[in-house]
Amino acid sequence: MFKVLAAIVVVLALVIGAVGQFTDCQSQGKSIALANGKTTPMKCHWTGQAALGTALPLLGLGSVTAFTKRKESRRIIAVFGTLLGAFVILLPTQLIGVCSNPDMLCNSVMKPTLILSGALVIGISLVGLVISERKPEQIA
Amino acid sequence: MSLFRLATKNIEGSSFRSGVVFLCALVVAGLSLSTVLVIRGAQDSLRLALERLGADIIVVPEGEASRVETALLMGKPTQTWMPQENLSKIASISGVAAASPQLFLASLSNASCCSASELFMVAFDPKTDFAIEPWLRQRLGHELRLGESVGGNLVFVPEGEENIKLYGYIISLKGNLEPTGMGLDQTLFLTFDTARDIARISKTRAVKPLEIPDNKISAVMVKMQPGADAHKAALDIMQTVPNVTPIESPQLFQAYRKQITGLLRGMMAVLGITLVLSLVMISLIFSMAANERRREIGVLRALGATRVAILQSLLSEAAMLALGGSAVGIALAVMTVGLFRNLIVRSLEMPFLFPSLPALLTLIGGGLIVAMVSVTLAALLPAYRVSRQDPAVAMRE
Repeated sequence: MFKVLAAIVVVLALVIGAVGQFTDCQSQGKSIALANGKTTPMKCHWTGQAALGTALPLLGLGSVTAFTKRKESRRIIAVFGTLLGAFVILLPTQLIGVCSNPDMLCNSVMKPTLILSGALVIGISLVGLVISERKPEQIA
Repeated sequence: MSLFRLATKNIEGSSFRSGVVFLCALVVAGLSLSTVLVIRGAQDSLRLALERLGADIIVVPEGEASRVETALLMGKPTQTWMPQENLSKIASISGVAAASPQLFLASLSNASCCSASELFMVAFDPKTDFAIEPWLRQRLGHELRLGESVGGNLVFVPEGEENIKLYGYIISLKGNLEPTGMGLDQTLFLTFDTARDIARISKTRAVKPLEIPDNKISAVMVKMQPGADAHKAALDIMQTVPNVTPIESPQLFQAYRKQITGLLRGMMAVLGITLVLSLVMISLIFSMAANERRREIGVLRALGATRVAILQSLLSEAAMLALGGSAVGIALAVMTVGLFRNLIVRSLEMPFLFPSLPALLTLIGGGLIVAMVSVTLAALLPAYRVSRQDPAVAMRE
């Protein structure tokens, strides 16, 4: 069961990391033009970068979950997973945000994908926590 | 051991089989609910939009009906023109209570003068308008003044700015209308005076000026007198006013209604196939499980468990898996449709309005019942067959 949960977390981590790279306005050739003629990325770009930064520990967490047998370790992993999932949700909604225009790809794809993936990571972590609490400890 | 505990133990004891049944219930419930949400969302959106337009007939220039419908439905800016004298001709037709002109305008695309790009702008005449003005009087307490506007639900002031800049003209956004899930949500409403002022200012401040031809209007919104025949009035308009197309409100968005019906048929076909396949799979899985557990069930019968108890235990197992799977499937469907609604609108090119909470709860309840009944029915035949077997024969096998 834990191997299945771990695999789902790994897939979600890959989605979280990838969606920010391919759906931000920068990747669509859009950026803010400054008065001096230079351009600067919009905030959705930084959300994408932060999502990538969150996806890496999540990927590690998913991989570790598959091989961890100790109840205490699983508990800590589940708590970390819940926190990372919440962080993924907060990135586009509260912490950094995405562009306001609902037609932009960052608003219509990146934001909902991050929210949905974050919610799934939280759900899976909580399921893992409940199962690890119920099952007797297995030491390899 | 209680019936519930026996069913729980059976589920835990065969995680793969239970997982497949759980997944089937998840797919059936999730797919059913998302289909219903999308179709119902589109229908609700069309109904609300017709109410919002508030007109019994919309008169547009001949050949422009589909462009106007697309603009109103998807917020895709359009510009159409007809002579202003048409207004008085339409207003004089028998049964017409009010006729109000509108100008359909578009903002520039990605121009440095403008903070809103490709925005559909509708200018109305406050003296004759019957669709926007009542809302304004109720919410703002006054009519729109020069330089003021109201927007659809998705029109916003860009971050870091206090007003919307269009053609180099500063427009104050005084409020947002309720969501309709249609193009009206991305439409900016302003008065004729403001539109003409924008056109004047744009000549010096915009990359490209806003052109409003003299003595031209884009459409006429017609409200009928109570009891008057709108169809007869539409025919009269066609005969009296040259080069116009009157669209009666029940005929409005016909192309999209057909599109929704087509989509509904397609989705129902996919849903039907998925449902049948899932039920066949669940039935097969339970048949296999019942065969595997013949000896176990025989022992239970020998220990005094009745046929009904065995049947109840197997059906409880199916119902628990169906409940769990469908609850997760429904949660995923609601989250996915709710979060990706903008993408759905853009990809399917049809309006969408997320249902209200009571309607959503009703749909969720319906989805749970459908999934539970389907899975339990699929498990009924194998469960009934195994519960009828002779314990002595079963234990010897």
